[in-house]
Amino acid sequence: MVYEHDVLVVGAGLSGLRTAIELSDEYDVAVLTKVHPLRSHSVAAQGGINASLGEDDSWEAHAFDTVKGADYLADQDAVEVLTKNATSAVIENEHWGTAFSRKGDGSLAQRPFGGAMFPRTCYAADRTGHNLLHTTFEQALRKAVKIYSEWFVTSLVADKDGIFGLTAFSLATGQVDGFCSSAVVLATGGFGRVFGKSTNAIINTGDGCALALNSGVPLKDMEFVQFHPTTLFGSNILMTEGARGEGGHLKNSEGKRFMEDYAPDQMELAPRDIVARAIRTEIREGRGVENEYVHLDVRHLGETKIKERLPGIREICIHFAGLDPIEEPIPVQPGQHYSMGGIDCDKEGTTKLPGLFAVGETSCMSVHGANRLGGNSLLETLVFGHVVGKRVGEYLENQRRRSNKEVEEAVFDIRQNLQSLVMREEGELMSSVRMEMNAVMDEKAGVFRNEEDLQQALAEIRDLGQRFDRAALGQTDERFNYALIRALELKNMLDIAEVIVLGAIHRKESRGAHWREDYPERNDTDYLKHTLVTKEDDELKVSYSPVTLGQFEVKERSY
Amino acid sequence: MILRIARSRQGGKITHYDLYKVQFEKGMSILDVLFQVQDRMDPSLSFRYSCRGAVCGSCGMLINKMPRLACRTQPETVMDESMNLQDFPPIMGRPEGWDPEKEILIEPLPNLPILKDLVVDMTAFYAALEELRLWAEPAEGEKARNQKPDQRDKIRRYLNCIMCALCYGSCPINHESAEYLGPAALAKAWRFYDDSRTPNADRYLKDALKPNGAPMCELIMNCVRACPKGVAPGGAIRKIKSHDKE
Ligand SMILES: Cc1cc2nc3c(=O)[nH]c(=O)nc-3n(C[C@H](O)[C@H](O)[C@H](O)COP(=O)(O)OP(=O)(O)OC[C@H]3O[C@@H](n4cnc5c(N)ncnc54)[C@H](O)[C@@H]3O)c2cc1C
Ligand code: SF4
Ligand code: FES
Repeated sequence: MVYEHDVLVVGAGLSGLRTAIELSDEYDVAVLTKVHPLRSHSVAAQGGINASLGEDDSWEAHAFDTVKGADYLADQDAVEVLTKNATSAVIENEHWGTAFSRKGDGSLAQRPFGGAMFPRTCYAADRTGHNLLHTTFEQALRKAVKIYSEWFVTSLVADKDGIFGLTAFSLATGQVDGFCSSAVVLATGGFGRVFGKSTNAIINTGDGCALALNSGVPLKDMEFVQFHPTTLFGSNILMTEGARGEGGHLKNSEGKRFMEDYAPDQMELAPRDIVARAIRTEIREGRGVENEYVHLDVRHLGETKIKERLPGIREICIHFAGLDPIEEPIPVQPGQHYSMGGIDCDKEGTTKLPGLFAVGETSCMSVHGANRLGGNSLLETLVFGHVVGKRVGEYLENQRRRSNKEVEEAVFDIRQNLQSLVMREEGELMSSVRMEMNAVMDEKAGVFRNEEDLQQALAEIRDLGQRFDRAALGQTDERFNYALIRALELKNMLDIAEVIVLGAIHRKESRGAHWREDYPERNDTDYLKHTLVTKEDDELKVSYSPVTLGQFEVKERSY
Repeated sequence: MILRIARSRQGGKITHYDLYKVQFEKGMSILDVLFQVQDRMDPSLSFRYSCRGAVCGSCGMLINKMPRLACRTQPETVMDESMNLQDFPPIMGRPEGWDPEKEILIEPLPNLPILKDLVVDMTAFYAALEELRLWAEPAEGEKARNQKPDQRDKIRRYLNCIMCALCYGSCPINHESAEYLGPAALAKAWRFYDDSRTPNADRYLKDALKPNGAPMCELIMNCVRACPKGVAPGGAIRKIKSHDKE
């Protein structure tokens, strides 16, 4: 069976839904998503969304903080789009129904967030993503956007002249079908699960990046992976930066607020990469608790404030760590949190492949450069959902649907591939390949990196790629074959892991979230540029592209 | 630790239970042990998941006859807990052979058709959102609307709903009548009705009072006990009902 639409959006998180809403008035748009839209990872965002609403604040100030936070690797023209449109994006969602938290006078409340000079982060308690996603989904329902829920996209179909459509696998039936369209928008979110310790949902496996890579589209700046300083020890569930924004303290095993040694002015609210390295350093130098974590202490905020401002955090602590932060400090450690890198595209989501667009966390425009500021990525999904949707609309105006034949052939091939994967009943467990990949990435491509570790990681990931080809699924059923989905995701993650490590090896400097112990300085002469990794004839090629500079002069980044 | 898991290859009904011996470490959730089964023992086991942090609402199921989120349920505590739900068929009785002292019983969420193993068909649950048109008509203007903190507080608990359907699965009325819209949708209707910013608030109330809506509720309050997010949909339904008399 072949389905036909003007445009297909892959992903039903904030960025995918916002893009689809933009297109739905004029075009036949359909969204494919591997989980029901409300289960997308956007729902988990806690802390907030940035917009310069304050009277003394301005989009320029927001842009400056973003560019500086990015360690000057962000493209300043894209940052301008992000920050200029921030206020209208937030207000639009308020108009759609999101119940943002308020100040006493009834206006939108804003809290301070790391790396920002103003309290600029709008929020809905500590459940901002939940509120935004539910609201945006409601609007998609209102507009009757067509959604293919629980469909896993398995490949893009394209030739050098552009996109024909894609193939996807329906969980409910176990069948692969073809979708033909003039344009495809990838809005598939982050790839956090490449790492073992991650705040991301289990489904965040970077499928969109792998789809693009395998269609010859470059991935950009993939070595820039944000490690959130405060994830709950054990499950690595996020403890929002909002907890520090509200006044929470970080303390080592000696009870000392150690941030005074690392960022004496901003203390706990220094940018994430700085705080994450500070915590790792404390642990490495023996001042961690049980050698594994430090304490996030919010007790002094008092019961009322904790219950009012941080209810989600408290609930997580109670249910996932068996402690009440009103009474005890929270054990935290850094964990993978955000993927700054992604599919190489311009500030309208256009990729090298005609008809293929990218938006949201899976894209790299780049607004986050070497390090994303908290509250900027929810903003990215809404601002660029709108912008990319508009751009895709313009693109569609001049397009005629191409033939369906290529998609039908691709379906045939994918069916065969999946069949042979399912038939393989003898071999190593997929899960052991996955766990080893996670361990390699955590240990050798994490908060601190160096040449030797990275070279080892590259060899090990390549080896794991070969082991994947011999690993077996075991006995599965056709319908709701989650083991098969997990295997396809693993394959995608192995592809991405190799790109991350390769980019990290080639970038012999420390910038933002990419920290090389053997090259601890930022090196603007050689590396003020974006890394591009492209797959050509099954080989990964590394190249570079210039950073778009602008009104903000490249300076040392200190806090 | 032993899991006794309901299986249904073709969907429709539970055909049998499989037993799995899992390794349990402190801090693990039921979702973690289900993955252990899928990863190492039986890759054919199907269940939904996403966030593993009790925010996405994917993993609702019946654990020891209580509707729960697998990711937020600790195996150690579930043994001696009770939600004090009013009985109705799916949560009563004991499957043959189940030893509650030794085994944790895992079954699909009741009141929705089984598609495979622990995966249920949520169509009816989602359809209620559309039937009641549970969305806001976009406001006009350049500015955010005003809403005082105490006005927001009135709807706060309803905002927390993650659409996990545990309330739907715990409701004896939903069990008896497929047409009942269910607690979550009605609570959400109240959320729009009671939002100080909603201009056409009455339509939500009117829709919620349709014959297959609030009037069907008998205020049994299983939903309030089962809800993992403190939404207390039954409270909203009571308020909706009180407007019926006016
Ligand atoms: C715990 C946590 C807290 C956060 N808090 C904040 C915050 O406070 N402020 C902030 O600005 N940012 C925050 N972020 C980041 C932010 O939430 C994300 O960057 C953003 O929500 C990503 O949205 P998205 O639409 O790009 O992707 P997602 O919401 O991840 O959606 C991805 C979609 O793609 C679909 N998909 C993926 N692969 C496939 C496939 N193969 N086939 C079909 N469909 C597929 C999925 O089903 C899903 O619908 C947080 C992130 C985490 C992890
Ligand atoms: S009301 Fe509670 S139980 Fe019902 S869907 Fe919402 S969160 Fe789940
Ligand atoms: S996996 Fe998201 S609620 Fe359990």
